[in-house]
Amino acid sequence: MAFDALSELEDDALLVLYANGDRDAARLLTARLAPRLLGHAQRLLGDRAEAEDVAQEAMLRLWRIAPDWRPGEAKVTTWLYRVTANLCTDRLRKARGGHRGLDEAAEPEDDRPGPVERMQQAARMDALQQALDSLPERQRQAVVLRHIEGLANPEIAEVMEISTEAVESLTARGKRALSAALAGRREELGYAEE
Amino acid sequence: MPKSETTGIPSDDQLEALFAEARAAAPDLPEGLAARMLADADAVQEGFAAAPLPQGPDTAPRPGWFARAFAGIGGWPALAGFATATVAGVWIGMSPPALVASEAAYYTSGGGTAEDLYLVDTMPAFDQLAQEG
Repeated sequence: MAFDALSELEDDALLVLYANGDRDAARLLTARLAPRLLGHAQRLLGDRAEAEDVAQEAMLRLWRIAPDWRPGEAKVTTWLYRVTANLCTDRLRKARGGHRGLDEAAEPEDDRPGPVERMQQAARMDALQQALDSLPERQRQAVVLRHIEGLANPEIAEVMEISTEAVESLTARGKRALSAALAGRREELGYAEE
Repeated sequence: MPKSETTGIPSDDQLEALFAEARAAAPDLPEGLAARMLADADAVQEGFAAAPLPQGPDTAPRPGWFARAFAGIGGWPALAGFATATVAGVWIGMSPPALVASEAAYYTSGGGTAEDLYLVDTMPAFDQLAQEG
């Protein structure tokens, strides 16, 4: 099938094509899904290298499950967010054995000098990431899925395997805790001049 | 941007702006990582091709003629019925009840004619039962 025609298909249809030997389907799925997974893992872990490992592992699990995937039953993205979150949780639990310093976790990815705006944006994102890192795991996951990934509460409930009411409670508490964590970061957030 | 001056806590609008900025700043997929993911995809896909096809119902082994005949007569439950009938037949042959013996003697003695067949008492014990009341 032509690449253009493939790009109009849903994720689960592409997965079925991949299972049937279509190589382009894998390329399209990777381009479509992997950046979101990487971003999600990075926000949950606060570490770029670990996030890349997690994203690769999550995609590998998707490839493996492809022949058994039943189209129309679950959304591929929902399944992937769940796998990614579980992999992140495993890594965070292992990391608690050793100690990962907050400064190390919050290291900016790109320290090249650039335009002022870019540096300000990087500082804001950095402050947000540090504030996210300070939240309990489940609250962080709920806040990221709701407010950054833009998922609806029922889908978050499916990803986190909890009720919609529990999602509402987690996101509300998470958002309050995030606001509190950001309270002392006026300068990084660019609010100092106001 | 409005902001709570007393607590320093960002307002909902400020938070939402920050979230929107984070959404827009989704990371690009590094080429090396994309290549590793696609290498995984190809390797897993080759495994699908090498895996044996699942056997359909047509290729399932068929039962032999004896198994089919055995199933045709009803399987083990039917065999139990046959065994009971056989034992009962042997028992009646070895130790026939009096009625069976007298009727059998009539037919095996050669005394009967074609007309006698119309006179066969199909319920020979009924008279005796009636007599006994």
